[in-house]
Amino acid sequence: MLKIEGLRKSYDGNEILKGISVDVSKGDVISIIGPSGSGKTTLLRNMTTLEQADGGHIQFADVDKDFQKLSSKDIQTIRRNVGFVFQNYNLFNNKTALQNITEGLIVARKVNKSEAKKIALEALERVGLSDRQNHYPSQLSGGQQQRVGIARAVALNPKVIFFDEPTSALDPELVGEVLKVMRDLAESGTTMVVVTHQMNFARNVSNKVIFMADGHIVEQGSPESIFEHPSEKRTQEFLTDILANV
Amino acid sequence: MENIKLIINFLGQLLPAINITLIVSVSSIVLGSLLGLGLAAAKQSESAILRVFASIYVSVIRATPSIIMIFVVYYGMPLFFSAWFHINIEGWNRMYFVIIALTLLFSAPVSEIMRSAYGSVSKGQTEAGLMVGMTPFQTFYRIVLPQAFVVALPNFANSVINLMKEGALTFTIGVVDMVAKAQMIVANNSGGYAWQTYCALALIYWVISLAIDKGVTLVEKSYQAKRKTIAA
Repeated sequence: MLKIEGLRKSYDGNEILKGISVDVSKGDVISIIGPSGSGKTTLLRNMTTLEQADGGHIQFADVDKDFQKLSSKDIQTIRRNVGFVFQNYNLFNNKTALQNITEGLIVARKVNKSEAKKIALEALERVGLSDRQNHYPSQLSGGQQQRVGIARAVALNPKVIFFDEPTSALDPELVGEVLKVMRDLAESGTTMVVVTHQMNFARNVSNKVIFMADGHIVEQGSPESIFEHPSEKRTQEFLTDILANV
Repeated sequence: MENIKLIINFLGQLLPAINITLIVSVSSIVLGSLLGLGLAAAKQSESAILRVFASIYVSVIRATPSIIMIFVVYYGMPLFFSAWFHINIEGWNRMYFVIIALTLLFSAPVSEIMRSAYGSVSKGQTEAGLMVGMTPFQTFYRIVLPQAFVVALPNFANSVINLMKEGALTFTIGVVDMVAKAQMIVANNSGGYAWQTYCALALIYWVISLAIDKGVTLVEKSYQAKRKTIAA
């Protein structure tokens, strides 16, 4: 459904992504793990055209082109078929929880207002925040903001939802409520690509794990194969380090 | 008591000329804001030439005293127009020259205010707008601009009040505004009642400034109130 090949990205001559290929099928829940600075977030931002990749090919939703040849119409097509959940939530500060969700529906998708409101309320219900619909982001806790952020992405009914370290900015006691929402989404068949440091999520919820280091995909496979029998030394070291700190 | 009566009497004579002050101020505010917006955009632009041009423009304008700007425009522009475009603009209403001078003056602080207000809205807001499928323009107009506006408001109001006061120099090129009117009244009274006359004039400016100030506070409050409508 979504196929990326040979994605490259450099900043000031530093190559951050050295030719990444990712294949996402419908219903996949893919966790991308790896040490800080390995390029996980950059990969997500380039796959979704938030940043302009230096090279590589994308095949997704009527678009089948090299990243550098994407027209603004192609970019719009890609963006309208993905959802994105940010590390810092990035809720629209001048909009209520409900408006945060209806905004994209009404303005970008041309859904009429009452229909948009209905969809938004359903999405809020799904993340357990129906009673917070008229609150502004500044009146919500981090966990609640992130759940609205997830509802905003879900309501657009995209082909894939990308999560960029969705729990990394949260206080530890708020992580659980967000992970629960993500787990529910995964179980209901939502296609998800998640950059995460939550190894439990990667291991128990996803059906595929990608381990990245230094701009490469070192290893990928089922959670069992990555966590139980990693074949690469780099993966073993990373897992030993991170599991020792849990 | 006698003085108060005189001041009220002078107020009555000065007020009819207020429309000149208002036309000059409002026109310069609108045009200056648009120019300022353009300059702010130029400063953010990818093109180094535009950025450098905008920076130089802003520093030159900011360093020009208002009265000199008005004279430069009034005496310089007709020469420039006849030499370059072969258009004679000497017959123009003199008010236009003041409006142009004040527009140029106003655009510099406005561009700085807008640039910093724009910078205060996090980049994540734009990214979130793009990722729900809005175009860059829709994102700017619906998400970034309303937030930047609230940030810019107090500084913008300050600049508006400054501009209005600088507008008191309009009389220097012979436009009959309130200041010119005050001078005429004093002259007609052979220099008598001068302080009462100017006191009346000052009162008018105080009231306008206060009104701007209060208006802005009200707008700010309404924005804050909107965020507090629901207590948990």
